[in-house]
Amino acid sequence: MTHALSLHAISHCFDGAEVLQDVSLQIAPGECVALLGPSGAGKSTLLALLDGRIRGWRGRAEVLGNRLPNNRAPERETRLKTGFIFQEFALVDRQSAYQNVMNGRLGRMHTWSSLWGRYGAEDHLKTAIALEDTGLTDLAQRRVDQLSGGQRQRVAIARCLAQEPELILADEPVSNLDPAHAERILELITDAARKRGITVAFSSHQPELSRRFASRIIGLRAGAVLFDKPSAMVGNDDISELYHGTVPGDGLRVVS
Amino acid sequence: MSRILVWIVLGLALLWAAGNANIGLDKLPGAGPRLAEFLGRMMPPDLSVWPEVLTGLAETLRIAILGTLFAIVLSAGLAVLASETLVPATIWRPVRALLAAIRSIPLILVAMLMVGAVGLGPLPGILAITFHATGMLAKFYAEAIDNVGTAPLAALESAGASRAQLLRWAIWPQMAPVVLRDTVFRFELNLRESLILGIVGAGGIGLHVQTYVRSFQYDKAATVTLAIISLVLLFEGFNTVLQKRFS
Ligand SMILES: Nc1ncnc2c1ncn2[C@@H]1O[C@H](COP(=O)(O)OP(=O)(O)OP(=O)(O)O)[C@@H](O)[C@H]1O
Ligand SMILES: [Mg+2]
Repeated sequence: MTHALSLHAISHCFDGAEVLQDVSLQIAPGECVALLGPSGAGKSTLLALLDGRIRGWRGRAEVLGNRLPNNRAPERETRLKTGFIFQEFALVDRQSAYQNVMNGRLGRMHTWSSLWGRYGAEDHLKTAIALEDTGLTDLAQRRVDQLSGGQRQRVAIARCLAQEPELILADEPVSNLDPAHAERILELITDAARKRGITVAFSSHQPELSRRFASRIIGLRAGAVLFDKPSAMVGNDDISELYHGTVPGDGLRVVS
Repeated sequence: MSRILVWIVLGLALLWAAGNANIGLDKLPGAGPRLAEFLGRMMPPDLSVWPEVLTGLAETLRIAILGTLFAIVLSAGLAVLASETLVPATIWRPVRALLAAIRSIPLILVAMLMVGAVGLGPLPGILAITFHATGMLAKFYAEAIDNVGTAPLAALESAGASRAQLLRWAIWPQMAPVVLRDTVFRFELNLRESLILGIVGAGGIGLHVQTYVRSFQYDKAATVTLAIISLVLLFEGFNTVLQKRFS
């Protein structure tokens, strides 16, 4: 596998409006890439597409060496290798943090025993490690609807880590956090990924954080790739062009 | 304009109801003392009928429990067919219409028909409760299915969960409290409504109410009333505890 992600001329329309236009890019295994762009640029759409949740797009996409189908969900095998961190966390509210993290491992279990909540030692171990890594061990038995926003976000990340994916797609994983927390969470994801050799693609509205934590930045505007270069080479002019002449201050969310 | 029309129609309806019906308003002044006398005759309640009352109450409770149980089973199946998210409109629309039709038939009417069909006793009562309750419960269950948040569902599917796993770990946890609340609510209704089933011969305590009142044994009727009140209050307390525990 030479690329973790390989896209050729990806286009997609929502109700006749072209949301992604001829997007081509490659991401190498182990690389950490940030997706920047104004609101409505198509970041969420592109990430959801790579996660196999969008139908009817055109082009050719390979994810972890498998051709991505555009008319159905990918095979279970592919789905469990791709972890997704949802912007709104997408946790099951009435379950404990522990069960929510365990949910990330469902794809690796035998269906029958999992239906009765009988998990293997391996599943319990991986869940405990993910909770430990995200600093949630003490909150494991707490129901997630009784956690703060930042704690819920960490549960979402722990669920993704427990899944043991080879690729993490994260849609604005730090959007509703204060600057200090945002930094810590991004550090958490990228550190965990580096330790495990996981490829990461995350979207963000924070150019400064993206430059620090990603090795490469892809600027997306109106569904097309505006620039694609190593973080160190992304200048303020690139950023200001991306956002139509506005350079956001660090930690500020740009709403165009 | 249309508001004036509404007021006019309301006014006419009121005049018609008060003016034309032979409701015997002239009896109203004497009703107070009469009612007092009536209540007086209920005192003190004749507790000697306790054993009978208890038997009748137990039968009512059994009718409510079994009727609810069968209604749950039927509703679970019908709810899937009435769910907007699980089946196409060509199925859920007619099923919902059918459920609405079932709901619109009063229980006492269903009970009378059932007595005609299967004879006297608790069986027609159970069948009537089952039929009547399913109309409401299946609709509630279908709404519970339709109100499940889709985000956790998408998340678990993306993580590789199978359909059965999604049902168990994403859909059911979200539905469970709603299903529990609706079921307990319906059971409470079933209990209250089945108290009167005996009047048409469909089993339970209603028969005693009927007999005692018709034969002017108000002190015994008072005992039945007290028993019913205690049962309903008891259940109310139980319900409060249940709701606190599972929210
Ligand atoms: N399900 C949908 N149906 C129709 N249009 C959609 C749908 N999802 C997104 N769009 C449209 O596609 C475009 C891209 O949306 P997308 O959510 O990918 O943007 P984004 O870059 O993630 O923006 P943000 O930074 O605000 O999250 C927008 O114009 C949006 O209105
Ligand atoms: Mg988005």
